[in-house]
Amino acid sequence: MTTRDVEPEAPPQGPNGPNGPAVGKPDIAPKNPAVAVGEQVVDYVDERTGVVAGTKWFMFRNVPAETSWFQTLGFAAFAIFSMQAITGIVLAMYYQPDPGTAFQSIEFITNDVTWGSLVRSMHRWGSSAMIVLVFLHMARVFFFGSYKYPRELTWVTGAVLLILTLFMGLTGYLLVWDQKAYWATVVATNITAAAPILGPFIADILRAGPEFGPNTLSRFYAIHMLIIPSGIVTFIGLHLFLIAKLGITEPPYAKRRFKAQREEDEARRRMRSPNTGRRAVPAAGDGSEGGS
Amino acid sequence: MKKSEREAYRRDYAAAKAQGKPFFPYAVYKDLIVASVAIGFVFVLAIWQPIGIGEPINPATTDFVPRPEWYFFFLFELLKIFKGDNALTPVIMATFIVPNILMVLLLVTPFIDRGRERRIWRRPIALTSGLLVIFGLAYLTQAGLEAPVGQAGAAGIELEGLDAQGEAGLEVYIANGCSSCHMIKDVGAPGPGPNLTDEGAKNRGIEWQIEHLKDPTSTSPGSSMPAFANLTDQQYDDLAVFLEGLGTEYR
Repeated sequence: MTTRDVEPEAPPQGPNGPNGPAVGKPDIAPKNPAVAVGEQVVDYVDERTGVVAGTKWFMFRNVPAETSWFQTLGFAAFAIFSMQAITGIVLAMYYQPDPGTAFQSIEFITNDVTWGSLVRSMHRWGSSAMIVLVFLHMARVFFFGSYKYPRELTWVTGAVLLILTLFMGLTGYLLVWDQKAYWATVVATNITAAAPILGPFIADILRAGPEFGPNTLSRFYAIHMLIIPSGIVTFIGLHLFLIAKLGITEPPYAKRRFKAQREEDEARRRMRSPNTGRRAVPAAGDGSEGGS
Repeated sequence: MKKSEREAYRRDYAAAKAQGKPFFPYAVYKDLIVASVAIGFVFVLAIWQPIGIGEPINPATTDFVPRPEWYFFFLFELLKIFKGDNALTPVIMATFIVPNILMVLLLVTPFIDRGRERRIWRRPIALTSGLLVIFGLAYLTQAGLEAPVGQAGAAGIELEGLDAQGEAGLEVYIANGCSSCHMIKDVGAPGPGPNLTDEGAKNRGIEWQIEHLKDPTSTSPGSSMPAFANLTDQQYDDLAVFLEGLGTEYR
């Protein structure tokens, strides 16, 4: 099975699996049994899932040669999200979403749990970092014009992620259950309730009732821990799939782009010039340039 | 975009890809460096500026400062712009209309700007609107950062003509942290609540004031003021008399 999969491609560095370092050279010696088992496992899984082809498609797809450092901000936001997920899980192991004990559990995390203060501080600073990175990423996409054809829907999924991230910041705020958190959330839910038509209903859902009460905390806990994160994970999946499918944009200032653009502009000008009466472009010079 | 333009883009991108490099490792290494820097930055901040513990909740009294996290300041500052002082600036603008317009604009950006041009220096409208949004957000956030944090008990309010009930009302006013949203004679926060220096001159009446304190949205639709439902009848009375007297009896 291994040979059938490998032979037709025979790429220069072509390992067909993470466990097969011996594949590169002609197979004359008997294989290390551990490697052989590893390959069999990879082959078994790949035959049933296509995971190897998928990984290759994702990791070894070509991207334009001149990608910019600005194009790393989205991944950085993703990395911070992962950090938020991990620190959030650790916090959830100690946090108690109960109005009577929530504040004490925060005190316990901060003062008594080993590294607790660090984890909590990272989670809190991480929320700010994530907002900053998401906004910077959006600014990059906007100024690069990356949201244009064919990436319109990638932008929409990203915009949904931005909104979800903001709601994450809003709902996480209450969980600390101190004065500032409580009153800021009271104001936020009052603002929601003031919105026309659906506002009062949404506010009731958020507060778990017409008034800010004991169930409000667990409601916000569920929203912060389960509802929004699953939305974020779903949309990150869509976003990443579209990015991998459509490719990373080439920066508009890339050298290759300039060259292509110049040729395009020339061609357009030549098309237009007979009608508009503009100076015609000498055909000879153009021909030599367009040759490459 | 016309079909020919879309095809031209696809051809051009295919050429860029053909001349390109594999994602792994050429793009991945940059991603990993920047992500490590970002996480390292958060780590250093968390050690350098650990998050402390606030005051436990006490919904009855309050020394409350309803300030959101800094990344919501731009929305919070809108409340100060649209205070409902006149028909052109209803509170609903800040709490509902403007945020939702921004959200919809964000979602439909690629369907508004459908031109093929990607070079920002050739997209004057996109450049202008992008910079306007950035400066707008930066300005509002900055305004939120600089806004004085109202402090309950910052009893610098000096009023002439206070009688005994006015005095009692002022005490309730201070004890409930009203000055963290409202201002009386330059004392307190300039928002999100309206300036109350001349509240009495509006002649709303004691009944209205008490009702508004118990349930602000019942008398001022769209208000984001929290309900103060836990005061005693005497306290409501004192506070309402105090508010009705502002700008008339008490100046």
